[in-house]
Amino acid sequence: MRYVIVGNSAAAVGCITGIRKVDKENEIVVISYEDKCYSKPMIADVLVDFPEEKLLYRDKKFFEENGVTQILGHRAISVNPESKVVVLDSGELVPYDKLLISTGALPFVPPIEGSDKKGVFTFTELGSAKAFKEYIKENGVEEVVVIGSGFIGLEVAYFLREIGINVTVVELLDRVLGKALDRRGSEIVEKMLRDKGVNFVFNNTVERIEGDEKVTSVTLKSGEVLRADAVVVAIGVRPNTDLAKTAGIEVNRGIVTDNHMATNVKDIYAAGDCIECLDITDGQRKPLPLFPLAFEQGFVAGLNMAGKEVEYLGGLPLNSLKFLEKPVLNAGIVEPPDNSYEVIVNDRFEKKGYYRKAIIKDNRLVGFVAIGEIDRVGILTNLIRQKIDVSNIKERLVSLDFGLVDLPESWRKEKLVEDKTAYKDWRAV
Amino acid sequence: MERKLMKVYPIEENCISCRYCEVACTMVHSESQDPVKAYKLEGLKPRPTVEVKGAVSISVMCRHCKHPFCFDACISGAITVDENGKVNLDEDRCVGCWNCVLVCPFGAAHPFVERKHSFKCDLCEERGFPACVEACPNRALIYDFER
Repeated sequence: MRYVIVGNSAAAVGCITGIRKVDKENEIVVISYEDKCYSKPMIADVLVDFPEEKLLYRDKKFFEENGVTQILGHRAISVNPESKVVVLDSGELVPYDKLLISTGALPFVPPIEGSDKKGVFTFTELGSAKAFKEYIKENGVEEVVVIGSGFIGLEVAYFLREIGINVTVVELLDRVLGKALDRRGSEIVEKMLRDKGVNFVFNNTVERIEGDEKVTSVTLKSGEVLRADAVVVAIGVRPNTDLAKTAGIEVNRGIVTDNHMATNVKDIYAAGDCIECLDITDGQRKPLPLFPLAFEQGFVAGLNMAGKEVEYLGGLPLNSLKFLEKPVLNAGIVEPPDNSYEVIVNDRFEKKGYYRKAIIKDNRLVGFVAIGEIDRVGILTNLIRQKIDVSNIKERLVSLDFGLVDLPESWRKEKLVEDKTAYKDWRAV
Repeated sequence: MERKLMKVYPIEENCISCRYCEVACTMVHSESQDPVKAYKLEGLKPRPTVEVKGAVSISVMCRHCKHPFCFDACISGAITVDENGKVNLDEDRCVGCWNCVLVCPFGAAHPFVERKHSFKCDLCEERGFPACVEACPNRALIYDFER
């Protein structure tokens, strides 16, 4: 038996962890075009003086101890499911018995005129983050335009301010984090970033990137021209399904998997940002490119690949803005799509520096936002996950001292006394 | 492989919300080993949380879950699980992404926002016996083999 994993991030490490729970002996091979297993959500930190060794997510010792052979610096370009081999860009063939595709996501770059000029960067891998930092140094960059106000865009903007560079974020919608956060949350985040010196242009977009060889400015849709010594395109990511397609695997918006993380092609599994994930808050399958979900999907895939049948619990949106002075956390649905949802708000941001909001549907919590005070909000995440009836505790959900005493006694007995904390024990009740 | 792990189990019927567990925890994790200095000078926070609602009270700390969601979610590699299933959090390696806070079903991974790292129950590994259990006057916390 030989396990092969393409990709070397959260889902891959989750998969190794899962396989080794069941199978301590058989060989595992990891294939990655990058040179190490670093933490993708931490790459923006390289802009400030952040020790690069801290970026390492799993070190050499981890791979050695788990009996993993790493093939680094080579891209997997195709998979042949008949002969069960992965073909590398070097021409080498890597045979597999069970394969995990965890090829992640690619930055989405819309067709903007001039986006091929020097000084235009995306920000989803360490190589591009380091190239950007190098470009800043070599060219004495003073003004940067960031396109998109998602998590990556805002984090880049924040760290650029930290090193004294002027930043303007250009956003198509009328607020920051428009797809991830509620309106009040966006307002608070925007205020914190403006206090830091970040400029924003809303309801607008970059139509043309100007300059000869290197970018010098951008022209907005409104006609306005902004100086830009560099441009960061951070509009979003899309699942990288290229490799899966070579194997004839079913792909929708991302790779399609069943509840065991298996694709429609025998012995090939998929996990992480490259797949379509079941969102338990609305029952839809969609890309949810989030680190905790990627690890968990990889873990479940690994168990199944090694012969232990386990069903994935399903995912939900989980976000944390880690760089701001006041933490911003949210999960599930944050803005009710229609009036069948109840919304409970505890907004003390101006006076006490915190904001809490809960979204309820059919007496079940389906989402929350927590800003400023975030301690213990994981209890809320679990209420969403387990679909626990909250009809008697609705107002408590936004209270800072909300706790396990607010949950049914039977829940505390099962979890705290009987210690039912294995993976399957967290299914919806 | 058999897990050999001892954990702290709360007994809510016995808890009188005296918070001795919180005080003892903070003290043994402090530089000064003094309960007042630990709070006032070192700014430390307790790892167990005593919750009270009407007549019910209970002390809650890291459960060292059989499937720890915090481990899945940790982006820095600060959270690890040892061969017995004990969940460790390396505060120096932690970068304060708060993912563990976001996913812990018990609210037992706490954010130390000012210091940019999370913290949680370490079962008093250095001491050899959990201070909260020792301090509990009413046998509302017991140190027992994993159930």
